[in-house]
Amino acid sequence: MSQQVKVPSVGESITEVTISNWLKKDGDVVKLDEVIAELESDKATFELPAPQAGVLKISKQKGETVPIGTVICEIQGDGKPAEVQPAAQESKPKPAAPAAGSALAKATGAVKEMKVPAVGESITEVTISTWLKKDGDLVKLDEVIAEVESDKATFELPAEATGILRIVAKEKTTLPIGGLICKIEVMEGAGEGSVASAASASTAASVGDANYAAGHPSPAAAKMLDEKGIPASQVSGTGPGGRITKEDAMKTQPAAPEPKTAAATTTAATTGAPAQGSKGERREKMTSLRKTIARRLVAVKNETAMLTTFNEVDMKPVMDLRSKYKESFKEKYGVGLGFMSFFTKAVCAALKEFPAVNASIDKDEVIYHDYCDISIAVSTPRGLVVPVIRNAETLTFAQIESEVVRLATRGRDGKLSIEEMTGGTFSITNGGVFGSMLSTPIINPPQSAILGMHNIVERPVVKNGEIVVRPIMYLALSYDHRIVDGRESVSFLVRVKEMLEDPGRLILGV
Amino acid sequence: MQYNVTVIGSGPGGYVAAIRCAQLGFKTSIIEKYDTLGGTCLNVGCIPSKALLDSSEHFINAKEHFKEHGIDIPDPKVNLSQMIRRKGEVVKANVDGIAFLMKKNKIDVYKGVGSFVDKNTIKITSGDGKETTITSEKVIIATGSKPTALPFAPFDKKRIISSTETLELKEIPKHLIVVGGGVIGMELGSVYARLGAKVSVVEFLDSLIPTMDGTLGKELMKVTKKLGMEFYLGHKVTSVENKGKEVLLKAEPKSGGQPIELKGDYCLVSVGRRPYTEGLGLDKVGIETVKGQIPVDDHLRTKVENIYAIGDVVRGAMLAHKAEEEGVMVAEQLAGQKPHINYLLIPGVVYTWPEVASVGYTEEQLKGAGRAYKTGSFPYKALGRARASMDLDGLVKILADKTTDEILGIHIIGARAADMIAAGVTAMEFRASAEDIARTSHAHPTYMEAVKEACLAATGNRAIHI
Ligand SMILES: Cc1cc2nc3c(=O)[nH]c(=O)nc-3n(C[C@H](O)[C@H](O)[C@H](O)COP(=O)(O)OP(=O)(O)OC[C@H]3O[C@@H](n4cnc5c(N)ncnc54)[C@H](O)[C@@H]3O)c2cc1C
Repeated sequence: MSQQVKVPSVGESITEVTISNWLKKDGDVVKLDEVIAELESDKATFELPAPQAGVLKISKQKGETVPIGTVICEIQGDGKPAEVQPAAQESKPKPAAPAAGSALAKATGAVKEMKVPAVGESITEVTISTWLKKDGDLVKLDEVIAEVESDKATFELPAEATGILRIVAKEKTTLPIGGLICKIEVMEGAGEGSVASAASASTAASVGDANYAAGHPSPAAAKMLDEKGIPASQVSGTGPGGRITKEDAMKTQPAAPEPKTAAATTTAATTGAPAQGSKGERREKMTSLRKTIARRLVAVKNETAMLTTFNEVDMKPVMDLRSKYKESFKEKYGVGLGFMSFFTKAVCAALKEFPAVNASIDKDEVIYHDYCDISIAVSTPRGLVVPVIRNAETLTFAQIESEVVRLATRGRDGKLSIEEMTGGTFSITNGGVFGSMLSTPIINPPQSAILGMHNIVERPVVKNGEIVVRPIMYLALSYDHRIVDGRESVSFLVRVKEMLEDPGRLILGV
Repeated sequence: MQYNVTVIGSGPGGYVAAIRCAQLGFKTSIIEKYDTLGGTCLNVGCIPSKALLDSSEHFINAKEHFKEHGIDIPDPKVNLSQMIRRKGEVVKANVDGIAFLMKKNKIDVYKGVGSFVDKNTIKITSGDGKETTITSEKVIIATGSKPTALPFAPFDKKRIISSTETLELKEIPKHLIVVGGGVIGMELGSVYARLGAKVSVVEFLDSLIPTMDGTLGKELMKVTKKLGMEFYLGHKVTSVENKGKEVLLKAEPKSGGQPIELKGDYCLVSVGRRPYTEGLGLDKVGIETVKGQIPVDDHLRTKVENIYAIGDVVRGAMLAHKAEEEGVMVAEQLAGQKPHINYLLIPGVVYTWPEVASVGYTEEQLKGAGRAYKTGSFPYKALGRARASMDLDGLVKILADKTTDEILGIHIIGARAADMIAAGVTAMEFRASAEDIARTSHAHPTYMEAVKEACLAATGNRAIHI
């Protein structure tokens, strides 16, 4: 059965959405419930799951804005295992060559090419460390088929389709991001009910060697695992032949400390309506991106001598200037005058004066940069990304603002290339957009410092012996004490403060 | 009234869905256009047909087998009206049971034809024309199916009849012609064959119960021939005419050759069932049927986000237990659970005697798919239990993966096959190997030993009792 996929109604007042991203390509084989696209309305972004398994045929392209109810793609054929009807209730007088052939795992003719995914911002190439599956093996969707390593991390490569594995890159080969790793000759029907193992036919196992069923969940276990969002491949079965028993599935939730409570929770789940005060929890495998982030953040803490210095800025002068020239700036340059240009300019000027803050350590050497490539943190639906404003020291206010807008948009659309996110010499992050009063940002290695902006709050301050109300922002500078001295870091931040409180200094360079 | 869930149709799909919804805490209602609940299955399907199958089987035993068992009785006679009356009581007890279950689960029952006004509003028109309107967040369509007629011979319900009339006959036909050698044709045909009618079955394909494993059709033909049933396989029916006191059927062999003419007093047309959606107002919600079926995704959801459909009205085997599983699945999904249905493991059963039951892949499917498999068979004849009861017809056939020994299909024809198949389904749900069953203790003497022996035969040809 083919199914047309329409833009679902997502909220009362939303009448149209923009297709912000296709996560699957035209012709890809998609699984039931797999997210195939990201849609965006004026209110929110949301994900579009596949309503059935099959081959994706895209009819509306990325970037198009369409009303609710528009068909944006079709999913053809049922990619699910062909169902057999052992006994239709009556024979139908049509020439039915027995529904054979459709019944078992069979090649669909589609070939899924698996390419090196973008695994982290500064990773440009990876090495295939180990193949866990052999060429010609039958692999199941999401099953880990290889281990891949980069200079930063090792990660597991899950199969992107069910089918026969055709290895392209041998072990120890190094591939760029996007390089072809392997192909999978997509099969349908395998994976459920029975593994029609094209492979098992060749690898003659002795009769009674029952481990073909290892990891097969019992019906009750399958339901429970699905509800917990745990793939069966992550559970080791204790049943005969490695089957996953109901008890295995129950125990996979650490919150069920003893069988008694676990049993109680199950009954509640089957009899109770939306249980009150329930203690549901959910386990999800970390994505390799998340794992890389995690590993790197811990590494920064362990491998640098990071500390943070603080200051506060009276934002009134910048704000006055901004409201005075907002209109004419916008008119002339077609981009709004924000705070980022002021901060970037102030930072660039201060970096010139304190080169250690703009430097990085490479083994026994310190690399000083005579340019300022400023990484700016942008939060996107996929997480935080850090694109770089190149040679910010040479840019005008208007150029900086439009660069910020460009990078933020690309970030939100998931279009940033690895290139655009690598090689910054200093970072600026703005926790203020989320309402942060004060925080200690983590430096972005191999950089040596990061400036944290925060929210602007009207506070009573004393000016010339009088208490006045001023818009105040706290600033934080985290730095690597191994190469940046306390005096340098503190003076750097003071310089930034001075220039922001008296923007004339930015022009005169004093 | 406002509901969380409303179910349209009270067959095994609908009433089970309603009960499960109520168990899960939803405020639930069910709509049924007939006076009694239970749908096709309870009123004119599974239950009444089994009632008549059991009665007629008692008769044939009394008539033909008691003597050998050492029971002498005068020639037994059929009291058809009593048989039909008892069947009616069985049906009544069952449908009353459903009414009780609705009450017990606090499900509101509306009698009348349910019809969509919009996706959340349903109008119910009762027999006397009264209209009631209710609203519901979710709707489950379970409107089932109706018998298909031959295009050139509509049911006249007198001579050209469907399964429904066949369950209510006032006399034992002298000659019952059955068009379609599928499950319903074979079940109802054998009822009247046992009661003394001449029964002729005309089937377009070259085997009986053609969707099942070929071995089963062949065996079924053998044993039902003993009842005197006659078969015209590979014959295309070209006309059926009601001639007043008679019905005349013409058919021609598919492969060419002499056309045949059969004269009988009744012609049961059992060539299939079609999904039923009349009066449901699907156009009001923009659902279009495809070959009569309501298209649904893997979650049984229609293209309208709050409307689901289950049972005979959607794709898949037209079986009561399949409808029930789907009812449970939809209800649990609505409560945020993630139930599964393994459609491969929905068993199929024919309640002839001996019974026919199977699950998994047929041998024809495995061959077609080029799968390396092995078989193990065991005949009932070699079974102590079967000798004791004199139910010697039949066999068990196990199909297993040639390499891994995983069971791929279980096909049984023989006494009690319908009940035995459940053990096979369980084994296959756990992906048991043939050797697993072969090494599992089976009580002796039982019919199930035939399954164990067939598994022994499949694993190294080491059946014991043959
Ligand atoms: C003679 C016979 C023997 C059978 N034997 C077996 C067997 O042994 N085992 C087996 O598994 N299956 C058997 N079946 C098949 C089985 O009966 C069906 O698969 C099953 O009943 C399907 O259930 P359902 O809930 O989908 O629909 P149904 O049982 O058909 O129920 C649908 C109900 O919806 C009602 N309805 C329809 N439209 C509306 C509307 N607009 N408003 C309100 N109500 C409506 C109908 O009146 C009906 O009561 C048999 C069928 C027949 C005919």
